Amino acid sequence: MTKADFESVVREHQRMVYSIACNFFHNAAIAEEVAQDVFLQLYENRLAVNVGTHCVAWLRRSTVHRCIDATRRSSFRQEIQVDVLPEIPDDSPETDPLLQEGLRRLIASLPETQRSVMILRFGEDMDVDDIGRTLQMPVRTVWSHLQRATARIREKAARFLKENDNERAGTRSS
Amino acid sequence: MNGLERDLRKSLKHKEPPAGFAERVLARAYATDKSHNGWLSRTSWQWLAAAAVIVLMAGGGFFFQQEQRRRTENERTKEQLMVGLQITSSKLRRVYERLEAIQQRTMDLHLE
Repeated sequence: MTKADFESVVREHQRMVYSIACNFFHNAAIAEEVAQDVFLQLYENRLAVNVGTHCVAWLRRSTVHRCIDATRRSSFRQEIQVDVLPEIPDDSPETDPLLQEGLRRLIASLPETQRSVMILRFGEDMDVDDIGRTLQMPVRTVWSHLQRATARIREKAARFLKENDNERAGTRSS
Repeated sequence: MNGLERDLRKSLKHKEPPAGFAERVLARAYATDKSHNGWLSRTSWQWLAAAAVIVLMAGGGFFFQQEQRRRTENERTKEQLMVGLQITSSKLRRVYERLEAIQQRTMDLHLE
């Protein structure tokens, strides 16, 4: 990969790398730091990485691994307050910014591997086989993480809804 | 696709990086390039330090060997000197004994 190739890769894939990091940490400053480090790592390894699909896969894998490493190293764990979560309706054709913000916070509160799987599945639109290859884990494990992560998000959302309903009922009775 | 999946996709869709992100990445990448090309980059320092350690170790080894050789030669010279002295003293003793014998014989002849 030449310098010109590197420049075009940065410009073409900066959104992808930044978005993975941003969805992972739910923090713009940390996301930018991690994304910059990923591209620097690519620059250092530019002779070994080919432009094209190999490069995209390399970027995704490096970003996820770097995010996981950064989380484990610095404990960027984020405690999510359930009461700030908006309601999650079953069918919402229009975009609800509050709902999306709540989901992003929920995803950022998941354990690292579940978070990575969710981001690659729903953010990068990757299939389970590709996720398995990227994270170097069996497909069955990917499925398991996906199911657990979805169940956890549903559970947290339901807990919030229940608390919300109780609050409403209390207000009505008083 | 159920409602939750659709909402997840919407929430996790790609976001624009902050303005000037690509320029900052390129600047950082090329800055590391310059430091790598400088005649004394971090790696160069590491190599220099390793070379210095090797030179010091080799020099130390050579000096130690020379010192050992000099000490062995000194020991050998000392031994040779001692042997020489021993030979000289035994010869002197023999000469002295002969002289004594001659003197005794002379005194005996004189008395007769």
